[in-house]
Amino acid sequence: MTASVMPAALSRQPVLGVLKKKYFATRLDAAVTVLFAAFIAWIVWSLVNWGVLDAVFGPNQGDVCREDLEGGACWSVVSTRWRIVLFGLYPFEEQWRSGIACIAMVVVAILSCIPWFWSARRLPVLWVVGFATFYVLMRGGFLGLAEVTEQNWGGLSLTIFIFAAVSLLGMPLAIIFALLRRSKLPWIARTMALVIDTIRSLPLLTIMFTFAIVMPFVLPDWAIGDKLYRVIVGYALFFACYQAEIIRGGMQALPNGQEEAAKALGLGYWHRIGYIILPQAFRNALPPTINQFVITFKETSLVTIIGFFDVMASGRAASGTAEWNFAVVEMYVFVALIFYVFVFSLSRYGAYLERRLGVGRR
Amino acid sequence: MSAPAIRIASMNKYYGHFHALKGIDLEVARGEKIVICGPSGSGKSTLIRCINRLEEHQSGVIEVNGIELNDNVDNIEEIRREAGMVFQNFNLFPHMTVLENCTLAPILARKIGRAEAEKTAMEYLTRVKIPEQAHKYPGELSGGQQQRVAIARALCMAPEIMLFDEPTSALDPEMISEVLDVMVGLAKDGMTMVCVTHEMGFARQVADRVIFMADGEIVEQGPPEEFFVNPKSDRTKTFLSQILA
Ligand SMILES: Nc1ncnc2c1ncn2[C@@H]1O[C@H](COP(=O)(O)OP(=O)(O)O)[C@@H](O)[C@H]1O
Ligand SMILES: [Mg+2]
Repeated sequence: MTASVMPAALSRQPVLGVLKKKYFATRLDAAVTVLFAAFIAWIVWSLVNWGVLDAVFGPNQGDVCREDLEGGACWSVVSTRWRIVLFGLYPFEEQWRSGIACIAMVVVAILSCIPWFWSARRLPVLWVVGFATFYVLMRGGFLGLAEVTEQNWGGLSLTIFIFAAVSLLGMPLAIIFALLRRSKLPWIARTMALVIDTIRSLPLLTIMFTFAIVMPFVLPDWAIGDKLYRVIVGYALFFACYQAEIIRGGMQALPNGQEEAAKALGLGYWHRIGYIILPQAFRNALPPTINQFVITFKETSLVTIIGFFDVMASGRAASGTAEWNFAVVEMYVFVALIFYVFVFSLSRYGAYLERRLGVGRR
Repeated sequence: MSAPAIRIASMNKYYGHFHALKGIDLEVARGEKIVICGPSGSGKSTLIRCINRLEEHQSGVIEVNGIELNDNVDNIEEIRREAGMVFQNFNLFPHMTVLENCTLAPILARKIGRAEAEKTAMEYLTRVKIPEQAHKYPGELSGGQQQRVAIARALCMAPEIMLFDEPTSALDPEMISEVLDVMVGLAKDGMTMVCVTHEMGFARQVADRVIFMADGEIVEQGPPEEFFVNPKSDRTKTFLSQILA
C-alpha cells in the first residue's frame, strides 16, 4: 500500500525538502552526507583530471606522454595500438576481416536475444550462419582472401569466438548431461553424476592444459585437431557440467504434475522435454544461468596461459614494448572497459529476461 | 468396436513392498459413467492412474479400447491419447496461454494443423464457458476457471474416455458447481467417464455405477439408488454416514 503511494507523494514535494529529509535529518546525518559528498567529489575530480583534463589522446604521442609533468593518462597507447587489442597477431592488412567477423558474431548474439528468434528452427539457423560467417572470414583461403590459420587469431575476436563456441557447444551438452543425470536407468544416472562431479571438482586450468597439451598424446591423429578447438571442447565440457547442475535444479523445482499432465495428454518424451520441462526449467534457472555466462566470459582469459593471444594477453602485449611500457594502467583500463561492456550488457539482458518471463507465472 | 472402454482383470499394484491395489477386476462399458469413492489412501488415485500408465501395475491385465497396456510405448501413448485426464491440482502449463495449453497436444501428438487445433480449442473453451480467457495465462485465472481449462485441454484431444481424479477437491466451495456443471454436460453427451469424487450429488445425478474402495480393494459397487439407499458392507455404511453427515 504505502510503497505505491510514496513515490507520487515524494515527487510532489520540492527537491530541497526531499534532500533535507533524506540526507540532513540530524546533525550526524548532515556531517556524514557532507563528508561523503566531499570524498566522492574528490575521487571524481581526480579521475576527470587524470582521465580527461590532463590526458593525452591522439595517436603516436608517446613522447608527449613521457614529458607530461601533469601525470595525466596516456590514452595515446590505446589510440595507437588498439588494433592489437582487438585483433592480436592477425595480419594487419587483413584485420578488416577480423573486424567484420567480430561484428557478425555480436550481431548474432544480439539477434538471439530477441524473442522472435526463440524457436527450435530459427535459433540454430542463426548461430550456424553466424559461426560460418565468422569462420570463413577469419580463416579465409578462398576467393582471393589470404588464409590465416587459428594460431594467428587473437585479441577480442578470439575471446568472442571462444566464448561463443564454448556456450554453443556447452549448452546442448549441459542439457544432455542434465537429462542423462535424471535417467530412469540407475547406472546411467550414476555414471553421469560421477562424471559431472569429477569435472566440477577440477580447476578449469587443469582441464585446459589437459586438452591442449596431454590430449595429442592420447588421441588418434585424425581426432587431434587444432589446439584452439581442443581447448574449446575442454572448456565446453567444464561449462556443461556446471550448467547441467543449474538446469537440473530448475527441473527439480517443477511440480511432478507438470510432466504427468504432459504424459496424460499423450505427449512423447522429447515433446515433454522440449515444450514442458526445459522451458520451465530454464525460467526457474535463469539467474544462475546468466551468472554462468558471465563467469564463462571472464574466464576465457585463462587461455592466455596456454599460449593464446586473447584480449587480455593482447592488451598486455600492446603496452609491453619499450616505447609504451609506462602506459600499462591505461591499457588495462581499456581492456577492463571492453569486459565491462560485455558483462554489463549480459547482466542487464538477464534482468530484462527475468522481468519478461515473470509475466506468465504470477 | 465391441470391446469395453476399460477392462481390468486381477490387477495388482505395489509400491515397493506396499500392496496398493489388490486383485482389481473392473469393466467399464462404452458410455458408462463410474464414480469411485472411498477413504483417503484407499487407492482411488492409484487405480485411475494405472489406467493411463502414470503408475505401472505389476500383474494382471488392463485394456483400454481393446489395447493392452504393456511396456510398448506406442500402446501407452495411444491409450493416453484416448483417455483424457483431469487432475486435482489442474496441472495447467503455466508458461503457456490457455489457448496454447489446449492446442499443444493436438498439434504435437495428433499432428493437427494449428488453425484447426485453435478452432477446436475455442469450441471447447466456449463449451466450458471461458472463451474470453483464451489469451490469458493460467496464473491469471481462478481455480474453477483453471479446472475448466484443464477439462477443455483434455477434450481437445477428442478422447473416448475421461478420467477425473478429485477434480473439485482443491476448489473453493463457490467454484465447485461451475466445474460439476461442465462434467454433467459431458456425461449427457455420452462420454465414458471414470470419476474419483466425493460429490455425492453428482454421483446420484450422473453415475451409472458407484464403486466403493478401501485398502486397495473394491469393496462394493452398484447403481447409485441402491448404493446410497441400501449399502451392504459395514465399511460402506460408515463411510457414507461420515460423508453425508
Ligand atoms: N508414489 C507412491 N509411493 C509409495 N506409496 C504411495 C505412492 N502413491 C501412493 N502411495 C500409497 O498408496 C496408497 C493409495 O494412495 P492413493 O491411491 O493416492 O489413495 P487415494 O487416492 O485413495 O487417497 C496410500 O497408502 C499411499 O500412501
Ligand atoms: Mg487421491
